[in-house]
Amino acid sequence: MKQFIISSETDAIREVEERGDQTEIARFMKEEVKKQLKQFLDEAPQYFCSPSGPKLALVIDGKCLMYALEPSLRIMLLTLSLNCSSVVCCRVSPLQKAQVTSLVKKGARKITLSIGDGANDVSMIQAAHIGIGISGLEGMQAVMASDFAIAQFRFLEDLLLVHGRWSYIRLCKVVMYFFYKNLAFTLTQFWFTFGTGFSGQRFYDDWFQSLYNVIFTALPVVIVGLFDQDISSSLSKKYPELYKEGVRNMFFNRRVVAIWACFAVYQSLVFFYFVSLSSSTSRDSDGKMFGLWDVSTMAFTCVVVTVNLRLLMMCNSITRWHYISVGGSIIVWFVFIFIYSGIMTRFDRNDNMFWVIYVLMSTSYFYVTLLLVPVAALLGDFLYLGVQRWFFPYDYQIVQESHKDDADSINKPDSQETKEHLTPDEARSNEISQLPKEVSKHSGFAFDSPGYESFFATQFGKYVPPKAWDVARRASMKSKSKPK
Amino acid sequence: MTDTDRGTQRDRDSAFSLFTQQSLPACKPVLTPEWVIMTFLFIGFIFIPVGLVTLRASHSVVEIVERYDIGCVPEPFRIDKVSYIQDDSIPKNCSLSFKVPKYMKAPIYIYYQLENYYQNHRRYVKSRSDKQLLHGQNEHGISSCQPVEVNNDRPIIPCGLIAWSLFNDTFTFIRNRAELKVNRKNIAWKSDREHKFGKNVYPFNFQNGTLIGGGKLNPTIPLSDQEDLIVWMRTSALPSFRKLYGRIEKDLDVDDVVVVHLMNNYNTYSFGGKKKLVLSTTSWLGGKNDFLGLAYVFIGSSSVTIAVVFTLLHLLSPRH
Repeated sequence: MKQFIISSETDAIREVEERGDQTEIARFMKEEVKKQLKQFLDEAPQYFCSPSGPKLALVIDGKCLMYALEPSLRIMLLTLSLNCSSVVCCRVSPLQKAQVTSLVKKGARKITLSIGDGANDVSMIQAAHIGIGISGLEGMQAVMASDFAIAQFRFLEDLLLVHGRWSYIRLCKVVMYFFYKNLAFTLTQFWFTFGTGFSGQRFYDDWFQSLYNVIFTALPVVIVGLFDQDISSSLSKKYPELYKEGVRNMFFNRRVVAIWACFAVYQSLVFFYFVSLSSSTSRDSDGKMFGLWDVSTMAFTCVVVTVNLRLLMMCNSITRWHYISVGGSIIVWFVFIFIYSGIMTRFDRNDNMFWVIYVLMSTSYFYVTLLLVPVAALLGDFLYLGVQRWFFPYDYQIVQESHKDDADSINKPDSQETKEHLTPDEARSNEISQLPKEVSKHSGFAFDSPGYESFFATQFGKYVPPKAWDVARRASMKSKSKPK
Repeated sequence: MTDTDRGTQRDRDSAFSLFTQQSLPACKPVLTPEWVIMTFLFIGFIFIPVGLVTLRASHSVVEIVERYDIGCVPEPFRIDKVSYIQDDSIPKNCSLSFKVPKYMKAPIYIYYQLENYYQNHRRYVKSRSDKQLLHGQNEHGISSCQPVEVNNDRPIIPCGLIAWSLFNDTFTFIRNRAELKVNRKNIAWKSDREHKFGKNVYPFNFQNGTLIGGGKLNPTIPLSDQEDLIVWMRTSALPSFRKLYGRIEKDLDVDDVVVVHLMNNYNTYSFGGKKKLVLSTTSWLGGKNDFLGLAYVFIGSSSVTIAVVFTLLHLLSPRH
């Protein structure tokens, strides 16, 4: 690691400070900072040429940062910082924290995240795109100003790699599914207009259309948005490269949208033409023919069933809530249509929906078509999914497949059998997870504090191996106190 | 120690905490090539037999379709069919005969088929009043029936374009010089007859206007027994449709010659529509329609083809 240090503690600067002339100090420091920035900026490229070269780091302190953030030097600072793997700014004021964040936000045009736990971090948290506050020892100001609040610094990894990634995937799925299901439903009516002399006659009954998005297809997509996990949380942390999928927007770009749209068009064609062509001569057992509303009820049933089954096909993880909501939506549709076509009130409009579903379900045509149409509609999607996963898999799908035989021990971290295979880190977190959870969420420790862990651990007789840096710190403290 | 362990574990695994901690037990289906192949084979395995059974059912239906709207116009009038049909003084009887191609088992259903007739046009579908059909003259405010709502300031029952355009061709069937009785009862949906058309509602002031749209109704028969009207008012979905006319309760043998005497009353000539007479038996699936069977077979066989292709690909270039 090659460190570029811009410090205000150099002898030259101290000399000028001792002289006490403010303007001269300011001018001199600015010159120094400028000189150093230029020098580092020239040095930096040589480290890029060799791929195995050391990583770069920039260390700058508050006083120098004040000059480096001036408009004339800002660009150099930004360029140099972006070339470094990490930048450490020490002894900075809250305003400077916010200024640095804004500089990166506007200059680099990337998404910035800032995390802090104290009141001095509030301006930084608000300046970044995403601000994360740590609730803890220093109070709740950071939490109140932030977009997300976590309890300890180490949860940031979970937040980004696990929940952030899942959230992106879920959002893409929910939005795409919503467009798809409405497209399939509406285009079916569209094909009907060609057969009505373009007069604008509706294919579906009014209530079907209104309740489609409210009752018959609403809940399953919410469940997917809440629970879908493409890979488990531990695997997400094991393969942080998968986070790039979100950065590159791989699941909601034009290609993905176009593919969903094509399948929606294909499915709507299947819905309309399969149902209307096959119902032109179908009849109930006594020879009576079907009318407009019978055909449209048949088509609508097929749409609801297909669209719900398509949701199951696009889930990565299916909990029992999925089964309940998908099955429930389909059952609610049948309950609704039984009630709707079973009653007649004075307020009915002139659509002849009375008794439609009972007659339909008394024909074997209904069941034969209900088996054919969803399968025909979903066949295209299924083929595409299979081919895509086989020949052009996304990274997360590769991870899924290589780990699909892992035992489902992710949900039960305390399984005794796997204890021997844990690394020391995992053993530690195992032990700690077995400590009683604190009732108060404001436990106060932003960073893992060995004191907290070992205190509570010893209370319960658990042994927590000490961390290396903690041992070193205690040793140095002992040696410092000795001369006194 | 172990007891407290188990206790905390049970707490942690409580339903609520599983929900909020995003660790619900889930099945994670991974679509491997084996699953893809198996699914396609399964679909093919189910669909091809079902398709063949369905096709067989469709082929077991015997259907006779005879177009008569051109043939029934006498030669001198073929140039201007519209004025022919609108002229009441010209007799509209017509005869056609056909041979029964296969043995037809009773009941044999008689349909009239109209083509290029947009019963699903928005203004047409709207033009009725279900309230009036059920309750009769007591209903007011039936503006949906415009322009066939009132005539000479008196309400028309049943109002609306659908009723006004009632189909009124009639057919009688003769086989071996004996008339085949056509059962014209119970041709409309039972739910319509009992709940949608009133038992105390009689046609009133119907087809009295200057423009005759279709058939007339007998004012002494209540609407719930006017089955032709009920059948006609169930608007169809597509521009080409069939409606039930009646049933023949006798069997028809092969090579029987059936003569149909029909009255060619209905005007489809103004808009280029076609009229056809259909006799058809029925199967458990309905009428003669190969579409379902063909669709099943097509999808089944394409699934099997895809499964075979994928199996070959899988064997030739297996993934690690």
